[in-house]
Amino acid sequence: MIWLAIVGSAVATYLTRSLPFALNVRRRLPPAATRYFEALPVAIIAALVGPAVVAPGGMLTQGAEPLAAALVVATVAWRRSLLAGVIAGVAAVALLRLV
Amino acid sequence: MGEGWPVMGTTIVVGITFGVVARQAGLEPIEITAMSLLVFAGASEFAMVRLFSEGAATPLVIATVLFINLRHLLMAASLRPYFMRAPPARRLAAAFFLTDESFAMATSHFRRGGTSLVYYVTFAVALFVLWNLSTLAGIALGSTIGEPRRYGVDFAITATFVGIVVLAVRRPVDIAVAVVAAAVAGVLALAGASTVAVITAGALAPALAVFVRK
Repeated sequence: MIWLAIVGSAVATYLTRSLPFALNVRRRLPPAATRYFEALPVAIIAALVGPAVVAPGGMLTQGAEPLAAALVVATVAWRRSLLAGVIAGVAAVALLRLV
Repeated sequence: MGEGWPVMGTTIVVGITFGVVARQAGLEPIEITAMSLLVFAGASEFAMVRLFSEGAATPLVIATVLFINLRHLLMAASLRPYFMRAPPARRLAAAFFLTDESFAMATSHFRRGGTSLVYYVTFAVALFVLWNLSTLAGIALGSTIGEPRRYGVDFAITATFVGIVVLAVRRPVDIAVAVVAAAVAGVLALAGASTVAVITAGALAPALAVFVRK
């Protein structure tokens, strides 16, 4: 089933990349739709964060993950570096779980 | 092409992280390699790993990936005038390598007056090669780390998502969208609906951006 999901996801992704080059789409999207689509990636990726922070591995967090996530937000906002954020987050979660 | 180095560096780091995380989540090296070769979309691949480890149904995985990637339609539509000068086979092949990063680079190239697709193709294919090589490096590394929870490595995927969101915020409403999406998905997951949590919250929250214009 994993293979079906991989191939299906590959096809879906390629369609989003190629359709505007294959079809003759002249009409522009209405502004409301454009705003919706522009916000979509941020929303989906943030939605992946929610469950991972409040219930990592399916169990209610003991506090390490939300604190570490806040640290990642601060680090990335300050340094503008994904790598710095990931290192800070991983180190923080490892330390906080010891407490 | 010199301005592309920071993007290439980030691609390598995120690619290695992806390989490590996917391996730790129990995916086979061949499956992870296939994802980077065929899907070639960082956020989607991370999302797939998370959904696989939660046992999500195949249609749900595909639908989530489709939603994450709908933004490509907007990017491709904006590059269309430049791509349409190339023959169909060539532009449809070039489309496979379209990412946020190659879109940004191509847009700045065309805005500076460039017309050739060569710049875009060179950069986009270089990112594809780097992404796949670093995925392989991550797979090798991920197979050697014994107990991921002990070193916090399992949190790398979440930290990566958090960082991507922070870097993607451009307007105040983006922050509201991100917070609402994370909160709704978190509540749904606590209520036991973890596999549909992501697509439900992710599809609802952008409605905020439709009504708030800041």
